[in-house]
Amino acid sequence: MTATTTCGCPEGVAAMAPSRRALLAGASALGAAGATLALAGPAEAMTRLTFADAGYTGDTLVVLSFRGGIDGLSVVAPVGDPSYYTARPSIAIPQSRGLKLDARFALHPALAPLLPLYTSGKLAVVHAVGQPNPTRSHFTDMDEMERAAPGSSLRTGWLDRMVGATATPGPFAGTTMGSTTAPRSFLGDLTADLAMRSVDSFTLSGAWDAAETTRWTTALRALHEGPADQVTTPARTALDALSTAATLQTAGYTPANGAVYPNGGLADALKDTARLVKAGVGLRAVSIDSGNWDMHTDLGSSTGGWMFSQLSEVGKALAAFMTDLGAAADRVTLVTMSEFGRRVTENGSGGVDHGYGNFSFVLGGGVNGGSVYGTWPGLAPDQTQAGDLKATTDYRSVLAEVLEKRCRLTASTVLPGAPTTRLGLLKQKA
Amino acid sequence: MTSALPRRSAALQAVLGAATAVADPSAPAKKAAARATARTTAPAPVPPRSTAPAGIVVPKAPAARSVDAAYAPRAALGGTTPPVPVARPPRYKAVRPVAPRAVSGGTTSTAAALLLARRATWGATPEVVDAITSMGASAWVEAQLAPKTIPDPVVDDLVKTQFPRLAWQTWEVHDRYWPDQTGDLGYDTVEAYLARAIWSKRQLLEVMVDFWSNHLVVTAPWGETWDCVHRFHEDVVRKNALGRYADMLVAAAMHPAMLAQLDNESSSKRAPNENFGRELLELHTVGVTGGYVESDIRTSALVLTGMSTESESGEYFYRHIRHHTGQVGLLGWSSANTSARGEAVGVSYLQHLARHPSTARRLATKLAVRFVSDTPPSTLVDTLAQVYLANDTAIAPVLRALFASTEFAESAGRKTKRPLERIVSVARALGVRPGADTRDWLGDLSWYSRVAGQAPLAWPAPNGYPDVAAAWAGAGATLAGWNFAMHQGWSATDTTEKRVTYPALRGLLPTTLPSTHGAAVDALATRLLSAPLSAAKRDAVCAFVGKTAATPLKSTDSLVGWRLPYVVALVLDTPEFATR
Repeated sequence: MTATTTCGCPEGVAAMAPSRRALLAGASALGAAGATLALAGPAEAMTRLTFADAGYTGDTLVVLSFRGGIDGLSVVAPVGDPSYYTARPSIAIPQSRGLKLDARFALHPALAPLLPLYTSGKLAVVHAVGQPNPTRSHFTDMDEMERAAPGSSLRTGWLDRMVGATATPGPFAGTTMGSTTAPRSFLGDLTADLAMRSVDSFTLSGAWDAAETTRWTTALRALHEGPADQVTTPARTALDALSTAATLQTAGYTPANGAVYPNGGLADALKDTARLVKAGVGLRAVSIDSGNWDMHTDLGSSTGGWMFSQLSEVGKALAAFMTDLGAAADRVTLVTMSEFGRRVTENGSGGVDHGYGNFSFVLGGGVNGGSVYGTWPGLAPDQTQAGDLKATTDYRSVLAEVLEKRCRLTASTVLPGAPTTRLGLLKQKA
Repeated sequence: MTSALPRRSAALQAVLGAATAVADPSAPAKKAAARATARTTAPAPVPPRSTAPAGIVVPKAPAARSVDAAYAPRAALGGTTPPVPVARPPRYKAVRPVAPRAVSGGTTSTAAALLLARRATWGATPEVVDAITSMGASAWVEAQLAPKTIPDPVVDDLVKTQFPRLAWQTWEVHDRYWPDQTGDLGYDTVEAYLARAIWSKRQLLEVMVDFWSNHLVVTAPWGETWDCVHRFHEDVVRKNALGRYADMLVAAAMHPAMLAQLDNESSSKRAPNENFGRELLELHTVGVTGGYVESDIRTSALVLTGMSTESESGEYFYRHIRHHTGQVGLLGWSSANTSARGEAVGVSYLQHLARHPSTARRLATKLAVRFVSDTPPSTLVDTLAQVYLANDTAIAPVLRALFASTEFAESAGRKTKRPLERIVSVARALGVRPGADTRDWLGDLSWYSRVAGQAPLAWPAPNGYPDVAAAWAGAGATLAGWNFAMHQGWSATDTTEKRVTYPALRGLLPTTLPSTHGAAVDALATRLLSAPLSAAKRDAVCAFVGKTAATPLKSTDSLVGWRLPYVVALVLDTPEFATR
């Protein structure tokens, strides 16, 4: 926990850019500052809110986790592999329906909005990704994937270590969007767990004007004095972030470049992420969850059903996110993860049980997109690992490359023991 | 699913909003939609009392918020039956334990009574603390372990009048509603769960119901179990919460709700679905380190083939035609399994797992985490596991041993309330009572708990809500807890609130007004937290109303006037209140 204020300065960010510090000089308390800003006009507020994140010049890293084990063989279908059709008589994506990526792979038709991003080089796909010691348990595998330090006794999460490796993180440095609780990847002492359902809902009831905001925040800070622990730390983080949230709420938000987000929690979280990126509040790592991927039954077909419906939202939301970011996409890299893939062979319920190897999307302005990366192990029974797609790429190779090339960090400090192989997924950040 | 069962309740559809539009909603669906829409709006705060000094700004009502679709138990679908999603990984290891906050200002017995009240109930109240103090801790625990001996007229009456459908069997619900499925019993189940948590005199039973609901997980409301989720809660969880785990496990495995939740209803010898076979081992019994190997998962699934449901009634039905026959064995259990009528083989397997030492250790650990500490002492876990095995999986002796243990007695300050515990304990601390439309008010509470991240029974994954503070350390959950306390303060002074009864907040203070602001804050803290705050914190509360502790208190002062709801909320925002 490094974001707690001891200087009494607004936001509790000891390292705010001088211009911003000057702007708030004389404000005696967080609430007053926030509320004063909030009373300014929207345009002015936004101008004032945009400040350089002095401690960090890398990309904002957005981690999108598909919870439940997304079926990578439906998302990026190996339509050039005959074993795929043998193993999945009722749920495979037909060659005629898939959106061709290369000679072997096709995107699920519900992800049509992503095809232009692939073609224009903003989206790269990695296939047959996994972690070293799979258990096919949702909980063990998520835990291990987010700890990302196999074989070590480290207890922290990898995003906590990532933000911790940057200088002077502010309250927004590590943000969970779309939920009031942060995931395992942020577990640890290095980063404040800012977790919010949405920017607009991050308000303090009863603090209806500047004076009341000061009254509340002063009292709440006093009541949460003392050693940092699991009650005082989140309380102080909430207080640290309130005034920035208030300023953003006053300014309002309209997506740029004609971006149209679909309905749903994933789109809402991505829209708020774009909003925070453009406002320059100091986002460094963002975690977003997308759930409901544990499709043991009735996965559906390439024309409709459960998978189709969920992927439709994913495709539209990610495309809108990139459109909305516009030029700011050059400062953002989004990576998708999931605790495991599914079995190659469908089960008797029209679904797929827990498996192993999976896909990962890497999306952003600094991506060498337009290719499917990785080594394809094949799906014939003798090519699988006990009936599952093998993992030929350690997922940490993908993350390490993002950390090195886009976040300007030393990967080994965040991912101890990670493989040194790199796929060439990303351009070195200038 | 083999039948064309209806998929989702209209109300759920409504919560999900336009993205999942219902074709031509029926009248009940529209009603449900209206209800769900109403739920997405936080109750507006009440303006300060007219005694507010001139120039005081009336608070603005918060803007309406829609419930994030991500929080809805499932995504919309045209004609598929998705099983349960996985939302959030558990976080087992607390990196930094909560510093113990000793209970101050009482004798040892008061401190011990307060600790037991905080841990064994949904929130300490003066009534509970007094009962423990006068009866003695062990006698109070003994009485709680025999819930049928404790009269509970308020809750009995409430459940009977507000939730009559909970008494219906699955086949009756099915018969009444299929196929329009407007009768999703999930909402009844969730709201009754909240009602019992707040008002039941059988508090330890309700705490254990919550424990088991997060161990043998059936998500609600969830569409898929629209007709039977309430029966799972009654016939599996509530019936066995203080009984034998072997009985509960068998009852769960032979219940349509669990069979739907983990897909065993569609599993067969030709195409076994591994979901239940796996989670039974990993979550319900021996645990991920319990000694099974990957090939055991398939065996586990094969043993359970046949346990299914009957589509016309929705009730449990054994489909022997699907049962895998032939020698099976794992984890020290085996069976020749020669008959297709293999239900008894499945039951024997389940009972073996319930009695397995790894299961004993897993349950002992979870109980110790629930009641003692996020990182419980291994000495206690060992003891509890032994008691569990020695009593053939009976739970009451384990709880008796737990509450009598030194480890428990020394654990004050080691547990933090989760968001739902915070919400329920605010209602208990304020002494809210049922009223003219309790059910509607409970719906609001359900909405608040969803915002805070812990709606009852809403955890979508089969492992239940995490039970360590580190998993709840997001700033948003804290903020939601503060906001709930404020809204309750407003509700308590809202003369139009007739759905339930809020005692006057002035009643939280002695009839004779304390002479100073400091004394009044002490009295308020003693009533709400069972102990006064430190001098520094008391001063901070006084400063909140622009006074010092020594400032004399008059009946016209804002502390006991229009600001009282705010001060009450502030006291409920303290780390002291957040501690279990």
